[in-house]
Amino acid sequence: MTDITTAIAQPPVRRRKIRWNRVFDHVILILGSMFMLLPVVLTLLTSTWDNVTIHTGGIQYSIGEDAFRNYQKALFEKSGFSQVVDGMKMMTNSLILGLGFAIGKIVISMMAAYAIVYFRFRFATFAFWIVFTTLLLPLEVRILPSYEVVQSLGLLNTYTGLIVPLIASATGTFYFRQFFKSVPEETLEAARIDGAGPIHFFFDILVPVSQTMIAAIFIIMFVYGWNQYLWPTLMTTDENMFTLVRGIKQIMQVWIGANIPDYGVAMALAIIAMTPPVLIVILFQNWFVKGLVESEK
Amino acid sequence: MKRVQFRRPIFPFLLLIPQLAIIAVFFYWPAGEAIRGSFYLEDPFGFSSTYVGMDNYTDTVTGSEYVSVAKFTLGFTAVVAFFSLALALLLAVKADSVLRGAKTYRTLLMWVYAIAPPVAGLFGILLFDQAIGPFTKIAQSIGWDFKLGVNYWDSATAMVIVAVWKQIPINFIFFLAGMQSVPMAVREAALIDDPSGPSRFFHVIFPLLAPTAFFLLIINITYALFDTFGIIDILHKGEPGNNPVTLVYKVYLDGFRGNDLGGSSAQSVILMVLVLILTVVQFRFMERRVHYT
Amino acid sequence: MNFRKLAAAAALSTAVAAPAFAQQTDITWWHAMGGRLGEVVNEIAADFNASQSDYKLTPVYKGNYEETLTAGIAAFRGGEQPDIMQVFDAGAATIIGAKGAIVPVEDLLKDNGVPFDSNDYISGVRNFYADAAGKMIGMPFNSSTPIMYYNVAALEKAGVTAPKTWEEFQSVTAPALKSAGYIPMAQSHMPWIFTENFFSRHNLPFATNDNGYGDGETKILINNDAIKKHFASMKSWIDDGLFGYYGTGWGDNQAPFERQEVAMWLGSSGSFGGLSQSADFEFSATYLPYWESVTTEPTNTFIGGAALFAMSGKSAEANKATAEFFRFLTSAKTQYFWHKETGYVPITNAAYEMAQADGYYDIKPAAEIGIKQLTLPGGEWTKGYRMGFYVQIRDVMNREYGKLLAGEKSVDDAFATIEEEANKLLARFARTQG
Repeated sequence: MTDITTAIAQPPVRRRKIRWNRVFDHVILILGSMFMLLPVVLTLLTSTWDNVTIHTGGIQYSIGEDAFRNYQKALFEKSGFSQVVDGMKMMTNSLILGLGFAIGKIVISMMAAYAIVYFRFRFATFAFWIVFTTLLLPLEVRILPSYEVVQSLGLLNTYTGLIVPLIASATGTFYFRQFFKSVPEETLEAARIDGAGPIHFFFDILVPVSQTMIAAIFIIMFVYGWNQYLWPTLMTTDENMFTLVRGIKQIMQVWIGANIPDYGVAMALAIIAMTPPVLIVILFQNWFVKGLVESEK
Repeated sequence: MKRVQFRRPIFPFLLLIPQLAIIAVFFYWPAGEAIRGSFYLEDPFGFSSTYVGMDNYTDTVTGSEYVSVAKFTLGFTAVVAFFSLALALLLAVKADSVLRGAKTYRTLLMWVYAIAPPVAGLFGILLFDQAIGPFTKIAQSIGWDFKLGVNYWDSATAMVIVAVWKQIPINFIFFLAGMQSVPMAVREAALIDDPSGPSRFFHVIFPLLAPTAFFLLIINITYALFDTFGIIDILHKGEPGNNPVTLVYKVYLDGFRGNDLGGSSAQSVILMVLVLILTVVQFRFMERRVHYT
Repeated sequence: MNFRKLAAAAALSTAVAAPAFAQQTDITWWHAMGGRLGEVVNEIAADFNASQSDYKLTPVYKGNYEETLTAGIAAFRGGEQPDIMQVFDAGAATIIGAKGAIVPVEDLLKDNGVPFDSNDYISGVRNFYADAAGKMIGMPFNSSTPIMYYNVAALEKAGVTAPKTWEEFQSVTAPALKSAGYIPMAQSHMPWIFTENFFSRHNLPFATNDNGYGDGETKILINNDAIKKHFASMKSWIDDGLFGYYGTGWGDNQAPFERQEVAMWLGSSGSFGGLSQSADFEFSATYLPYWESVTTEPTNTFIGGAALFAMSGKSAEANKATAEFFRFLTSAKTQYFWHKETGYVPITNAAYEMAQADGYYDIKPAAEIGIKQLTLPGGEWTKGYRMGFYVQIRDVMNREYGKLLAGEKSVDDAFATIEEEANKLLARFARTQG
């Protein structure tokens, strides 16, 4: 796959074309970029205002004076009977979920994909089907029984219960299988001539050649884990376990409830919830794009 | 599989154990439970359960609402997939053709990928709010009495716009990558044969993008069916009333809000069959594509 | 009723944890009171912990009513249920139907030496969470009832007083308010205010089988000419600009009243506390209107809100602790505090008398409307209703009412659909109990 950051050298013919085409292209792209940006910018601006202004005046189009108060409150103000839950706690939980999910998924699926691609053993085909049937059913369609199972194992409101059921699908295994299959045959042959055993081969040869792939999958899985909503909504009822995205559900009480809504803080929390994954995607976009495109081939 | 492989009878099983264990406990057990549960009517607290055969299925399918939810889900999926693919393709074509600022555009058009669906839903609520939403005001200024949460089709419009917004980035990335992987020689030849832009696009570039487009179509269908849950839940504020919902949302409403375990399980099983069909198509296609590249 | 209040993220609790003692019995209380209500719950718990040293109560916010009920059910199935669980009116049939899941509050109190006399409770509260024989199963906690709030200045401007009947609203109040530039009225919860309480206010049977309290099969009696006429009228009011409908969301309908676009709003007596903060204009409240053509002797409304249930499977000490907490909770002092802070009605006569003696209603007469309406003369059909899968039945109502008001369905068709689907759900629920 060509790295799409590489600008493609344009044939000379193209330069002589009427510039209006080019202007039109830019207009479309700018409109598209604005379409993507605008909702977030408006929320960001509105999150810097006080509640009365937002309550009466709606969305704001300039920067207000309450940015510090709102973000400070969203991040650090403790709430609940136990007095331990604040934005930072939710962010920690989101991080644990994102990292735990990404790392767990990579480790488990690399091992499984390694076994499936590089070993000849009895029941190999059977194992393959057992694993890949899981691609059939997203968590959403087996959500209720999954909840029952997690509950009967006593894992409600635990990190294990939060993370592990999300790992139970073969997407990662499938990505790594595709990637391992594209690793040249000669690699293994050479390694065997050198007398390398399976463990040696895995750590000294396969892992190094998979680095970009691992990085990309890590980013994809981290974003996926961080952004989980339905599963954390169902299985974390203890406020100590809330993630930021789960916290959005609490934010919604603002619009449903009958008190003076703390709009500014609610929007600040939404902005905080989206910032870490967005930053990661922007900063590591080259890896991310490569991984996304290669893994889903 | 590889031509050359290790031969160890036990080692590969050790490698597979963690994956198989997790799948057994958190996939096969719940999936089996869903199928079993769909044949019972059970007291929510678990004191009694009655075997009812296919009744949960017939009650589900004959309910006046289920058919219209299914129809809406189909329409919603088609519209979301179409618009997010079409807009992303347009943007990718343009981003591919400009030199200046190409990387900036790429960043600006893809970063929304990282935003969680419920956060997208929250933006939607702000923009479409009955009282304070700018979109509502614009709509009203052109005589469209837009009311999120009151008019069925207005709520549907908001759902589609937010869902499309959230899905454009990933389609854009794939289309752009697909386009830039078209070999230079092909592009140049096409340019000489057919200097007019649109025609060149449809005759040369688009056919080369077709595999990407098909793969994305499946991804988009899955997205519209399942991943839009957070958007819908937030836009409806947890109380759908007379607003459109998708099949997955209905599973949640009946099972989780309403505690009708049997009915919800039956709906899950129906969805499983649907996804099974979809995945078989996807799997065949992906395998073929991998063989040929 | 459904008060989903301010985000937990914004809540600041004033609760102070009580110091731990060696022989303390710990009990937990799962509730659905977010925002300001949650803070008051925390204060009550902290006060209880400070008032004695044998028991320690921890309240836990579990999300909205539906989420709390589901979490409680799941926990019970896993053997990890809390000692006390708050369950809302629509979930009453589910939890009361599951006989082994709860200890009836009347038994709990009597077994643990806490004096109990149901006559201590105000009449409108006594029956809703009781069984057919009148034995109290759940302890009413946040009890509210739908009342009519109005913007005092708006009504003066239009030269009208708050309507007592829907006929008066239709012919006098609404047109005058409309000419004065207001949307005359909005409401926040059609299943609760315009359905359940419509039947109660007019003393009409809502379901067979003694409104569902008896044993055996229950059928809903919603397909009835009086309520169909009400909805037909409402539809025409909306078409004529005499009524505003802002969707199913509670807050969406309340906000226009707070912005002074809507002159009268049908909400909950429990909205009083929040409204006092969010409305910066003078407002007052009065009874829910009734149709003079249906009855000339309007009766009391049901309580809404939620009750506390003592979960079964707990140790004798834990049950004792729960009983002691209920004793504390129902004391006149606690009830008066809760009433003043939140606007929910006090559930005992003693607390009501305390508020009267304190002169609270002289300062805030609107705060008394809810309890006065609950203690209006009752009738055969005004003690409540008990139907299974009622959360879904309400969803069906909301959906069909939405269709009706949008003109997508006729009144007859909408009510026929509600009747059919509700009865199907009731039959399904009956089978889960078999």
